[in-house]
Amino acid sequence: MTMAAATLAFEPRAASVGDYFALLKPRVMSLVLFTAVAGMLLAPVKPDLPTAFTALLCIAVGAGASGALNMAYDSDIDALMARTATRPVPMGHIARGDALAFGWTLAAGSVAVMALFVNPLAAFLLAFSIAFYVFVYTLWLKRRTAQNIVIGGLAGSLPPAIGWAAATGSVGLAPLLLVLIIFLWTPPHFWALALYRSDDYARAGVPMLPVVSGKRATRRQILIYSLVLAPLGLVPAATGLGGPLYAAVALGFGAWFLIDAIAVLHETDEVREPAARRLFGVSIMYLFVLFAALMLERLMGLPPFASLSLGGWA
Amino acid sequence: MEDDDRVQRERRRRNIAIALLLGALAVLFFVMTIVRLKGHVLEVFQ
Repeated sequence: MTMAAATLAFEPRAASVGDYFALLKPRVMSLVLFTAVAGMLLAPVKPDLPTAFTALLCIAVGAGASGALNMAYDSDIDALMARTATRPVPMGHIARGDALAFGWTLAAGSVAVMALFVNPLAAFLLAFSIAFYVFVYTLWLKRRTAQNIVIGGLAGSLPPAIGWAAATGSVGLAPLLLVLIIFLWTPPHFWALALYRSDDYARAGVPMLPVVSGKRATRRQILIYSLVLAPLGLVPAATGLGGPLYAAVALGFGAWFLIDAIAVLHETDEVREPAARRLFGVSIMYLFVLFAALMLERLMGLPPFASLSLGGWA
Repeated sequence: MEDDDRVQRERRRRNIAIALLLGALAVLFFVMTIVRLKGHVLEVFQ
């Protein structure tokens, strides 16, 4: 969609329930929920079912609130980008003020319910995550620096720690390792997207790395982060958090991630950017299978690498 | 006229969704209150 097409897409009408659901960024919410479930399942203390359900509901609603607030505050630049022009606020289906009220109500409600029925630490981490995403990423960094998604990525990295805290009331090194994996996964994931959407970002004036430093520098940065991420993905196997299944998955998909990052570095088709598109897809799969392997091992009762365990992590 | 009908329809759907969400929230609050009481609520019957 071109800028003219994006402008033509503006089509005010009464907001439907589906519009409000879209405001929650359901796809982002599902990945957030998935990593939070992993944090909760891997924790040494198991919460009762109603508490686990309430905690996950609060995390999902908190993530949705962050998405709604992001769409409200960024509606001006969303209208200029093909990927985001059809969101409910730039389309005129939901007024910006309504989206703000919806988002802040859900944010306050999710944190309050978490504090009342789960525990204060989980509520604090959820509140911190929402505030960081809205104030630090959306309102401060996104329009000012090419490091926006590097620093802002912290908000999206926290769900495993929130899930862990909901179960145990504390946060140890093990959930922080999972947070670190997502934190270092975020830049190559979003820069791969930014490579094939760079015209969009340039038009909207968002200083993503390919717009500010060029595609060459972005490709190098993607490879550097991937070179750190792939070995880091193996660390849970050495700390007793993951076992043989996890190690095999992290090794295989880490290698795949690296191979695609190298392909992005050597990409010659700067119009379609096929390697970047592939890496974007692989990066989603990478995070999904790593956390799925950790959960599967725990659910099946498979033992971790006890002999290599550093002890005290999990 | 058609627009008015559509607005009314969407408003009705939104109201039903809000009613269902509030109902679910009331159930959640009730269940979690019982869970947090850890069964002590039954002591009044003993």
